[in-house]
Amino acid sequence: MESVGSKVPVRLQAGSSLRTLSTSRDPREIAKSLSTLTRLLENAEFTRLHYTHALQVLVSARTCQWFSSSSDDDEVRRLWQEFVFTGPPDQTLLVLLDTISSTEECAGLDRCVSVLEKFLSVGRLEALLWSRCVVGGACSDSSQLTETVIGHLAALPSITSNRLHTKTPDAFLPQQYYPLLATNILCTLEKTCQALRGGQDCSLGFVAQVLGKVCIQGYSSFIYEALVPRLSSLTHTDPLWQRVMQKLLEKIPERCMESVITGLILNLRGAAVVSRLMGNLVVTNKKAQFVLTHKLVLQQYQHPTQVLKSLLGYLALNAERRPLLKQVLRSACQVWCNSSAIKHTCVEQQLYISKALMLCVALLNHSEIEELREEMLQCMLGGVQCRLDSNIERIRRMGMVVGECLSQRLDVPGSQLKFKYEPDEEIKELKSLMESLSTKDSEEFEPEHQSDESRRLQPEFETSLTQSVTSQSGTDSDSELDSDDDLTPYDMSADQEKKKSAPPRYVRDCLEALISSNDAERVELSLHAAESLLRKNGKATQEVSVQFSKVLLHLDDRYNTEDFQVLRQNAMVALTVTDTKLVVEYLTTEFYSLNYSLRQRLDILEVLALSAQELSEPITNKHTGAQPIAAVAARDQTDDITHWRQIVEKRIQSKTRRITKGATQMVKAVPNRYAPVAGSFIFPLLRNYDRSQVTFDLLGTDHLVLGRLLHTLGLLMHLAINAPVASQMGRALLDFVWSVRFHTDQMVRRGVMFAVCAVFLSMPSDTLLTDLGDDLMETRNWLADVAENDCDTDCRSLAVQGLILLDKNLKTQLQLPDVES
Amino acid sequence: MARPPPNPLYILRGSGDVVNTLHFCCDGQGPSLLYSGSGKGAIHVWNLTTRRPECVLESHSGNSVIWLQALKESSTLISQGRDMRMCVWDLSEGRGALTDSLLTGSVGFCQCSLLETRPGSTLLAHPTEHMEEVSVVEMKSWTQVCTLKPDLKVGMLMCMKMWQAQSGPVLCAGYEDGSVILWDVSHRRPFSCLKAHTEPVMCLDVDVCRQKGVSGSSDNILHSWTIDDQRNLQMHSSVQLTNPGVSSARVRTDGKILATAGWDNNIRVFGWKKLKPLAVLQHHTDMVNTVAFSDHQDPPQRLLAAGSKDQRITVWSIYSES
Repeated sequence: MESVGSKVPVRLQAGSSLRTLSTSRDPREIAKSLSTLTRLLENAEFTRLHYTHALQVLVSARTCQWFSSSSDDDEVRRLWQEFVFTGPPDQTLLVLLDTISSTEECAGLDRCVSVLEKFLSVGRLEALLWSRCVVGGACSDSSQLTETVIGHLAALPSITSNRLHTKTPDAFLPQQYYPLLATNILCTLEKTCQALRGGQDCSLGFVAQVLGKVCIQGYSSFIYEALVPRLSSLTHTDPLWQRVMQKLLEKIPERCMESVITGLILNLRGAAVVSRLMGNLVVTNKKAQFVLTHKLVLQQYQHPTQVLKSLLGYLALNAERRPLLKQVLRSACQVWCNSSAIKHTCVEQQLYISKALMLCVALLNHSEIEELREEMLQCMLGGVQCRLDSNIERIRRMGMVVGECLSQRLDVPGSQLKFKYEPDEEIKELKSLMESLSTKDSEEFEPEHQSDESRRLQPEFETSLTQSVTSQSGTDSDSELDSDDDLTPYDMSADQEKKKSAPPRYVRDCLEALISSNDAERVELSLHAAESLLRKNGKATQEVSVQFSKVLLHLDDRYNTEDFQVLRQNAMVALTVTDTKLVVEYLTTEFYSLNYSLRQRLDILEVLALSAQELSEPITNKHTGAQPIAAVAARDQTDDITHWRQIVEKRIQSKTRRITKGATQMVKAVPNRYAPVAGSFIFPLLRNYDRSQVTFDLLGTDHLVLGRLLHTLGLLMHLAINAPVASQMGRALLDFVWSVRFHTDQMVRRGVMFAVCAVFLSMPSDTLLTDLGDDLMETRNWLADVAENDCDTDCRSLAVQGLILLDKNLKTQLQLPDVES
Repeated sequence: MARPPPNPLYILRGSGDVVNTLHFCCDGQGPSLLYSGSGKGAIHVWNLTTRRPECVLESHSGNSVIWLQALKESSTLISQGRDMRMCVWDLSEGRGALTDSLLTGSVGFCQCSLLETRPGSTLLAHPTEHMEEVSVVEMKSWTQVCTLKPDLKVGMLMCMKMWQAQSGPVLCAGYEDGSVILWDVSHRRPFSCLKAHTEPVMCLDVDVCRQKGVSGSSDNILHSWTIDDQRNLQMHSSVQLTNPGVSSARVRTDGKILATAGWDNNIRVFGWKKLKPLAVLQHHTDMVNTVAFSDHQDPPQRLLAAGSKDQRITVWSIYSES
C-alpha cells in the first residue's frame, strides 16, 4: 500500500476510498478504506486539501447509516476515531459544527453531537490552540479561515444551541464550555512557556484573538473566573508568565481590547496582580489607556469600589504609569467640580467619581500633590460650593466629606475645611478610602504586605486591649470590697431638674409668655404646654388663633430649647386643626409675602401638610372626646340619625329575599374634616408662584422651596381624594406643574412627579381624561421620557408610577362603556 | 423595673416654722426622742412612739435655732441659735430648764460640733465673731482650749465636725471658697487642706471608723474624700446631682448609706462606699434643711429624719432591713 500511496496521487487515493465508504456495505472494505485514509493523515497535502471533504463524507447522513449497522465492529470504530481525533483539529471543529447546524434532526445529528462532545473532552481544543501558536505551523492558513475558526471557537455554545435547542448537552452550555476553553488556553500558555524556555518562538496572536472574541461576546466572566486565580498565582512566582501574559494582552485586537481589559480588571483583586498581568499595557496601548483612565473611571459607575482600588493602585505602582494617575486625578477633578455634571448625573455616579477622586488623592505623594495643587484647590472650592447648593442631602454630604479630605490632604495651614454632618455607612466608606491608603507608602502597595502588616498589628492591638482590661480590672479588684452593689437602687426616674416656674394654664398666658418673656424657662414651658392647651381649649384658641400663629411663625430658638422645632410645629398644627379656616388663610398668604426666611416658608408648608393629614383622618369619637361639650351636642343628632337609619335598614332586610348570604361587608364611608376645606389649602398656594419678589424668587434661586411646595401640593391633593373639589384642585395643580416640569433641579422634578402621581391617583378618572384632553399624549410622552432618561432614580421610578396610574385611569375609562354594552 | 421609692414612715407636723435642725436621741433609756429646732426659736422634743411632741422649749428669744445636740450622759441638750448664743438645757424628769449659756458672737450659719472625750469632759467647737475662726472650749467651765484660724485666705467658716483620734482631737472644717481643712486641735495647726469645691462648702460629715468624709456645696457635685495615715485629705469619689445645692449630709453609723438634704426639695440616698445613687425621696414641697439618722441600737429601727422649710419633718425607714 505504501508504494501505491507514494505513486498514486493523493487526490485519487482519497477519492476512491471515500467512494467506497459512501457506497459500500461490506465491513471489510470499509475498514480497508478507513485505514487508507488514516494513513493518509501523515500526508500534508491530504490534511490540507482533502481532510475536510473526507470528514464531511464520514459524518454525513449516509455513512452514519452504515455506521449504525456495523457499530459492533471494533476495528472500524477504532480507525474512525483515530481518523477524526488525530486529524487537524481546526478542520474537524469546523466540519462538526457545520454539520450540526446544517443537518436536520436525525440519528446523524446525535452522532455528530456526541463526536463533538468527545472532541472537547479529549483535549482537541488545546491541540487546536497550540497548533496555531507554533510559529511556522498551521498559521500559514488564510486569514479568512483563521477568522472562521476563531468565530466558531468563540461561538460554539450559540451555534450548537441554535440547532439543538433544549436538547443541547451540558458540555456546550456557556457555563461549562467557556471554563473548558479557559483551561485549554491556560494549558496552551503553559506549553508556550515551556517552548520559550526551550528556545522556541511562539505566537500568541491566535489565542489573543480567541480571548478577545469570547470577551466581546460578553462571556468574559466565565473565562476569567477560571483563568484569573491560576494566572495570579503563576505570575506571582514566574516572571516568564508575566511576560507571556503581557504579550498576550498586547496581541488582543484593538476592537476587543475594551471588553478584555474590563473583564480582567473586574475579576482581579488587588493592584499588584493587575500590575503583574498587564505590565505597562496602559502606557503602550492607546485603547487600553482610554478604557482604564477614562471609561472605567469617568463614564461607568456600576463597578464595586474594589475595582477602582485595584485600577488606581495599578496606575500608582509604576513610575511610568504615575503620570496617568495624575491625568486621572485632573479629569476627575474637572468632572467633580462641574456644576452641570452635578445636576445631570445620578447620585451613584457622583459617588463613584468622588471615590475615584479620594483614591487618587490618597495615592499621590507630596510632591505630586504640590504639582497639582492649583487644580485640586480649584476643584475643591468649586465642587464643594456646587454640592452645598444642592437640594439632595446625599450630594451635600458627599461634597462635605470630599471637601474635608481634600483640604486635609492639601494641608493649607489654618484653612482646612470642617463640616458638621451625621456620618453614615456611605460617608464612612468614603473616608476609609482616604485613610486605608494614605497610611502606607503607596509604592509598596501589595496585598500580601498588607495582610502581613495587619496580622502584625492585630496582636499588638489585642495586647494593648487586654492590658487596658487588666488595668481596669485591677482598679476594680481594689475596690471590690468597696462597692455599693449590695444595695439595690430604687427607681429614680422622678429625679428631674427643678423648674423655677409653673407651666401656663391658659391659652392667653401661653401666648403672652411666648411674646414677651425673657425667661428661658417660661418660654420652654409654654412651648411644651402649647399644643395640649390649644387642643383642649377650642373656643379660647379660636379667639387668638391668627395671632398665635403669627407669634409661633416668628418665634426664634433664642434659648436653644430642646426639640424646639418639633414643639413649635406641633403647636402650629394644633392651631391649624382647631381653627382651620382663619389659620390656613393666614399661613397661605404669608407664604408668598415679603420678609420671610426660607426656613419659615418651609415651616409653613410642613405645617399645612401635617394639618391636612390630621384633618383627613376619619372623624371618630376619639377626636370628639377632646371637646366634651361639642360631643354631647352632637350625640343627640347622631342618635336620631342612627335610629332612623336602623329602621330603614330593618325594613329593607325584611322586604328583600336573599338567595345567598355571603359576607357583604361594605366599606363604610366616613366623613373627614379635610374635604370641606381642602380648597382653601391649595388654591391660595397656587396663586402667586410666578410673582418674583426681592426676597423670594420661587422660580429662580429658591428652588428648594419650590421642590417642597410641589411635594406639599401633591400631598394636599392626595389627601383630598374623594372630595368633591378634587377635580378642580387637580386641574389647577396640573396647570401649575406643567410650567415647571423641565426644571433643572432634581428635587423640583421629584416634586413635580410626586404631584402628578397624586393628581392621577386622586382625581376621578373621567374628569382627568376630559381635562387632559389634547395634552394626554404629550403627558404620556413626557412621562415616558422622564422614566427613561432622567438622571435621578426617584424621578424615574415616580415617572413609571405616573405612567402606570395614567394607563389604569385610561383603561377603566375606556372599558366602562364596553361593560355596559 | 426598679422598685418605686418608699413613702415616709410618718410625718411630724406642727413645728410651726421652718425646721432647721434635727437630732435623734435613742439611748434605750426611756422612749426614743427626736429633737427639732425651728426658725422661731422653738425646740420640739418628739416622742417617736406616740409621734407627738413631749414638750416644746421656747429658746433663743425667738431667733432661729440652727443646731441641736444631746449629751450622752445626763439628759442635757445643747442648742445654738441665731442670737449668737449657745444654750444648755436640762431635760431630766420632764424638766425643760435653761441651765447655762455662752455668747459666741457668731452671726453666721455655721453649726457647732460637740466631742465627748470622756465622761464629764466635753469639748465644743463653735464659730466666733471672726468669720473664719473656730474656737474650741471645754464645756464645763467654758474655758477656751484653742482657736483655729487658717493662714490662707479661705473665707468664712461654713461647717465643721470634731472627733477624737489617737493623737488627740481632730477637727474638719469647710470654708467659703470650697476648701476643707483638717485641723490638729491639740497643736493648733492644720494637717492638710483640700480644695473640694468651687462653691462654698455647705455641709460635711466624717465617718470616723473609715477615715472618710463627704462634703456638699451649693453646686451640684457631692465629693467624698479620705484621710490617709499622714492625715492628708485625698479626693475619693464624686457624684453629680440633678439639681444644685446640698444643705446637709449625714453618713449612717453603720457606714452603708449617706443621705443628703437638697435645695430641690428632695432627699437623696447614696451608697457610702462609692457614692452610688440609690434613691430620691420626694415628699417635701420646699427646700430640705437637714437630715439625721437615728442612733438606735437596733439596726432595723434606725430611721432617717428630714426637716424642711415647708415646716414638716418626715421620717423614713430605708435600707434598714439588713
